[in-house]
Amino acid sequence: MWSGILLALAVYALFGLVPAVANTVVSFTDYALYPGAPVNFTGFSNYTSMLTSERPGFMQALVATVVFVTAVTVAQNIIALAVAHRLVRDTRSNSFLRVLVFLPIVLGVTIVGLVWILIFEPGQGPAASLWGLFGAKSSFFGSDTLAFPLVIGVQVWQNIGFSAFVFLGGLNAISPEIYQAAEIDGVSRWRRLSKITFPLLAPAVTVNVLLAVVGSFTVYNLIYVLTQGQHGTMTLGILSFNAAFTDSNLGYGAALGTVLFVFTLIVALPLMMFLRHRESRLLS
Amino acid sequence: MTTTSLRPASRPATTQKRRQASPLRRLRFWARLVTGLLIAVVFLGPVLYVVMISFETPSHFLTHPMTPPSSADLSNFSQAWTQADLARELINTVIYSVVAAGVSTVLALLIAFPLARKLVRGHRALYTLLVIGLFLPLAYIPLFIEARMLNLYNNMPGYIILHIEPGLPLAVVLLYAFILAIPKELDEAAWVDGTGYLTYLFRVIVPLTRPALLIGFLYAMLQVWNDIIGPVVLLAGTSANLFPISRGIFYFYGLNESLYVVFAAAITIASLPLVIIFAGTQRQLIRAAVAGSLKG
Repeated sequence: MWSGILLALAVYALFGLVPAVANTVVSFTDYALYPGAPVNFTGFSNYTSMLTSERPGFMQALVATVVFVTAVTVAQNIIALAVAHRLVRDTRSNSFLRVLVFLPIVLGVTIVGLVWILIFEPGQGPAASLWGLFGAKSSFFGSDTLAFPLVIGVQVWQNIGFSAFVFLGGLNAISPEIYQAAEIDGVSRWRRLSKITFPLLAPAVTVNVLLAVVGSFTVYNLIYVLTQGQHGTMTLGILSFNAAFTDSNLGYGAALGTVLFVFTLIVALPLMMFLRHRESRLLS
Repeated sequence: MTTTSLRPASRPATTQKRRQASPLRRLRFWARLVTGLLIAVVFLGPVLYVVMISFETPSHFLTHPMTPPSSADLSNFSQAWTQADLARELINTVIYSVVAAGVSTVLALLIAFPLARKLVRGHRALYTLLVIGLFLPLAYIPLFIEARMLNLYNNMPGYIILHIEPGLPLAVVLLYAFILAIPKELDEAAWVDGTGYLTYLFRVIVPLTRPALLIGFLYAMLQVWNDIIGPVVLLAGTSANLFPISRGIFYFYGLNESLYVVFAAAITIASLPLVIIFAGTQRQLIRAAVAGSLKG
């Protein structure tokens, strides 16, 4: 029994806990990507240099991250709520559509990213032909104006399924008797939606908003596949990744990662308290 | 009895309602049809496009990509298969994901059972520690340094070992809840009979916790299968023989335009196993992914 416990704990500590804590430790060093390079403790210099011209890009990345998180959270929740509302009835076509909405999550970031790269392929892709109808031309993921909105769109497309299923769970939890009672009382469809459905969905909204915020704050694998952070898509997550594995500066990358983690907490914790408060207000 | 007597009564009511179809009702029908089709096109369309062009010849694709090919041309698939060494990468991916997810699930069982049964001191603290794991960010920078120190960088056993942890906390939480629901008397009876600890765990507890094991396993497997940062960071760019398929399909990325059809074929090949697994385990897989996402 003990050997099993210790083995599981060892794996968890070594590859889960230690890296999470060690990230901060690495951020105080000048650890380089290539083996053999000397490692020095550099104090807070990785952090102070973020704001200097020595390492440009931090402020833009911060702004891009805020835009990205806001846009993704709002779009993902509104669309997912609409989709869940449309698919809540248990018909055969609806259960098929639910599976479709979930498909991008199963296919994963790489395949999803590459599929959209082919759709927005500037030469032969269908988006280019559609653009061509209006006499327009764009390099899409290679365009400084379009790349960022497109990356936001793909992130939303990929993750709608999660939010929709959480909303579906919330909608199914509302007892049908409430609706029957409202229908008998002659409450209009729209008022039923705004006065019954939406308030009772508060717990699902809490989960979904936090999910979208935390998920989009830390995302970099999708951006890595789509643009590598070029053309205005450099959020903090991909900046940290690039600093570490492209510019081979693990220390600075770790510092950016730590800053990202702290920002996520600063936004997510008060947001969570606000949403919980909102729940108790709406449900009481 | 009640349901059968209710049905005939309710059916005429609904047909009556349908007969007096108001314009509003008809509008609602069309709205549902249009929104349903919209969802189907938005979520299936892009994938179908890639599948379609994977059957087009390069010349067909370069002249009119949007017209479906008149005959299915399989040469893209064979070209993708041989040129990017997809067979080897598919085997690598299966080894990585099945072994890592399998070990992860077994380890989760080995720790979830004694904790749920309160067999060790500090079981509550240990469980909390594992729950924290749901919220830890995946720190690739220290993981990379560790991998190099422990000689796990750029080799197959290392890549598997480094991928055991991501699925572990979720599997522990799922199994813990399941084991709590199994009556303790069952353990005691077995131990009176002299059944060994591991025998009991695998003969009795495993069949009883199968849903949780399956969900934990599927989640862990999906994590490894779809990982793209792992192969970029933990494998050297030159060790193509170690690549999983998620890294392998990048072989055609950014190549000549006439090779896009081969690229599409490679993407189709890479997604096919996922679609098959998804088709077979829809319900569990969705539950696994939703449960996993809540760990964000």
